[in-house]
Amino acid sequence: MILVVGLSHRTAPVEVREKFATGADVLPVVLARLSARQELKEVLFLSTCNRVEVLATPARADDSRAAAHAVREELARHASVTLAELEPFLYASEGEAAIRHVFRVAASLDSMVLGEPQILGQVKDAYDAAMAAGTLGSFLGRCVNRAFTVAKRVRTETALGAGTVSISSVAVDLARNIFGDLANHTVLLLGAGEMAEAAAKSLGKGARHIRVCNRSFERGALLANAIGGDAVQWDALGDELTRADVVVASTSSKTYVVTQELVKRAMKVRKGRTLFFVDIAVPRNVEPAVHKIDNVYVYNVDDLEQEVARGLSARHAEVEAADAIVEKELREFLSWARGLNVAPTVVALRAKTRAVLLGELERSLASRLKHLPEGDRAALAQMVDSAVNKLLHAPTTRLKASVTESGADDATDYVKTLKHLFDLPEMAPAPTPSEATAAGVEAGAKLEGGDDPGRLPN
Amino acid sequence: MSAESSVTVFVEGALFLATALAYLTACGLFLAYLSNERFARAGVLAPRFVAIGAGLHASHIVVASLLWHVCPVAGIHFALSVASMLACVVYLAMRSRYRIDVVGAFVAPLALTFLLASRFVGSQVALGDPSVRLKSAILPIHVLVNLLGDALFTLAAAAAIAYLLQERLLKSKRVDGLFRRLPPLDSLDRAEHRFLLAGFPLLTIGILTGTLWARHVEAGSSADIARAGLGYATWLLFAGVLLLRAAAGWRGRRAAYGTIAGFGFALLVLLMYLVRSVEA
Repeated sequence: MILVVGLSHRTAPVEVREKFATGADVLPVVLARLSARQELKEVLFLSTCNRVEVLATPARADDSRAAAHAVREELARHASVTLAELEPFLYASEGEAAIRHVFRVAASLDSMVLGEPQILGQVKDAYDAAMAAGTLGSFLGRCVNRAFTVAKRVRTETALGAGTVSISSVAVDLARNIFGDLANHTVLLLGAGEMAEAAAKSLGKGARHIRVCNRSFERGALLANAIGGDAVQWDALGDELTRADVVVASTSSKTYVVTQELVKRAMKVRKGRTLFFVDIAVPRNVEPAVHKIDNVYVYNVDDLEQEVARGLSARHAEVEAADAIVEKELREFLSWARGLNVAPTVVALRAKTRAVLLGELERSLASRLKHLPEGDRAALAQMVDSAVNKLLHAPTTRLKASVTESGADDATDYVKTLKHLFDLPEMAPAPTPSEATAAGVEAGAKLEGGDDPGRLPN
Repeated sequence: MSAESSVTVFVEGALFLATALAYLTACGLFLAYLSNERFARAGVLAPRFVAIGAGLHASHIVVASLLWHVCPVAGIHFALSVASMLACVVYLAMRSRYRIDVVGAFVAPLALTFLLASRFVGSQVALGDPSVRLKSAILPIHVLVNLLGDALFTLAAAAAIAYLLQERLLKSKRVDGLFRRLPPLDSLDRAEHRFLLAGFPLLTIGILTGTLWARHVEAGSSADIARAGLGYATWLLFAGVLLLRAAAGWRGRRAAYGTIAGFGFALLVLLMYLVRSVEA
């Protein structure tokens, strides 16, 4: 049984979420507090800008309510608020719903920006932290591993992560699709406001030079210093247009700053070298006719936002396909989980049957059959093994069917009945998360032969 | 037919089929990649099939020339076949440098077409009087440089076509889908220019040796004159494209149109050779 308790951008405003801001150094402390709670067995703590969640398994399978309450209390303690204050923003789920939630989170289906890739790295970080702190066991570890598989499948089999969904990323993508690498190119910022700064952060990141051209030279120089570029005089705009490759215009001018004539003159000097304008100013800074000049491209806010909308709508169209993958993986994981309960019971049944038969055989061999030679004794022992296999073939097959075909209740009922009828001892499967990862996540593989506690014999 | 030669015939046929199949697969993969972003893997696999095709193609040329006792550079059929194979080889060598993987989408169909044309149009037998041909070193040089030049012009034209597509999408602001799968605009322009720069000296040598050869064999039919005229026009066109780019900044769209026109002329010269061979 897995449970999830937490809050996200869907349930809590940023004022609440920011109370949970957790540095990497605090993470072990939080994990230690959570794992110290007697109600909890396995624990994973995920903290991002948009999400704070605890994934846990209860110490007692039949008392998930107490486990969830313990998590709530620890979350309130972590944010230094009362539980009553936090409660309205929390969500909780358990069992199948919780596993589905974990899979969807890792696959970025529950992210604020649908399909954003960072969440998978954040879940991996949380997993690593929990592994390092020793708070992750076989079941939750396996579940999170499976979530990684789901995320990878969603990314490769659907277009959920395709396209660009922010104005700056669209502009960067366009620049890269025009110039390839920006490392040998110059970015010119027209204007030195917040928008210019934001654009510089994304567009100027890989550029060879960043130049800032602003009406107020001092303000331009301030921005240039902050982003590691050079400030130039406003009067030098014509010259700058002959050098720059990408121009980001964001001045508050009410008229066009960059006219068709100005660019035509610059293009003569540039000998036709490509020039790309990103006009994020409203009113626009670049005369629309500039786009008609050969080898010059102008994209304004509307053009960029249109791309953002297209990217988002394309991603939303992929949700159904991504959810289908989540559901398929969920079914397989649940099947594996049911197998975890069934396999030890079958192993115990086989072991007990074999022990009883071999015990009886040994007694006979020590008394009435003590005259038998070694070869005959070995044949009798083989016969016992064969009898065990034949006798238990039907129950084993039906248990397998209950795991893969029926609901969890059927399998659990069979296990209870077998344990009761044959007075079987408890045998807990104990694959570690790393073993689980290495073994792969194919539930079917667990259902093939052998006396491994994690496997069902044929 | 001896057992040995029937084996060679079989090997030649098998190599031809395998080459055609590899190019066809590459075409299909490129098409899938360009048509939908879900087929990203196809874009990775396609150049590999071009590589397999080029390897098989080279083997086919060797086996076929041995089988028919024809020098690979002596007849127009093989010339077509060799030129397309060389185009594939240059493409494979340059695709990473210029990030022009998608150019293979234009090269692979052309290679397939030339391969099929080399087999099904006219006969594979070399043209001209063998006694004359063997006595002079001009013809092999003429054919060799022209083949390599044509291979480079094929790539330049392919890059130009991709450039025009990309530029059109960018100007019309349709920058999703195909736009993102095509190489960066500047990479295409640069690749086109470099291929042209590399091919132009070869074309110049080809024109010079062709002129010398024409005087040598005293050819003078109207078809020969027309072909020579087209050759000179091709040279002038490419020279103009390169000169205007350097002097007047004729880059991008204009250079692309010039390159495609020049390639069209070069192709016409090859076709005229082919028609002559069919008539012969």
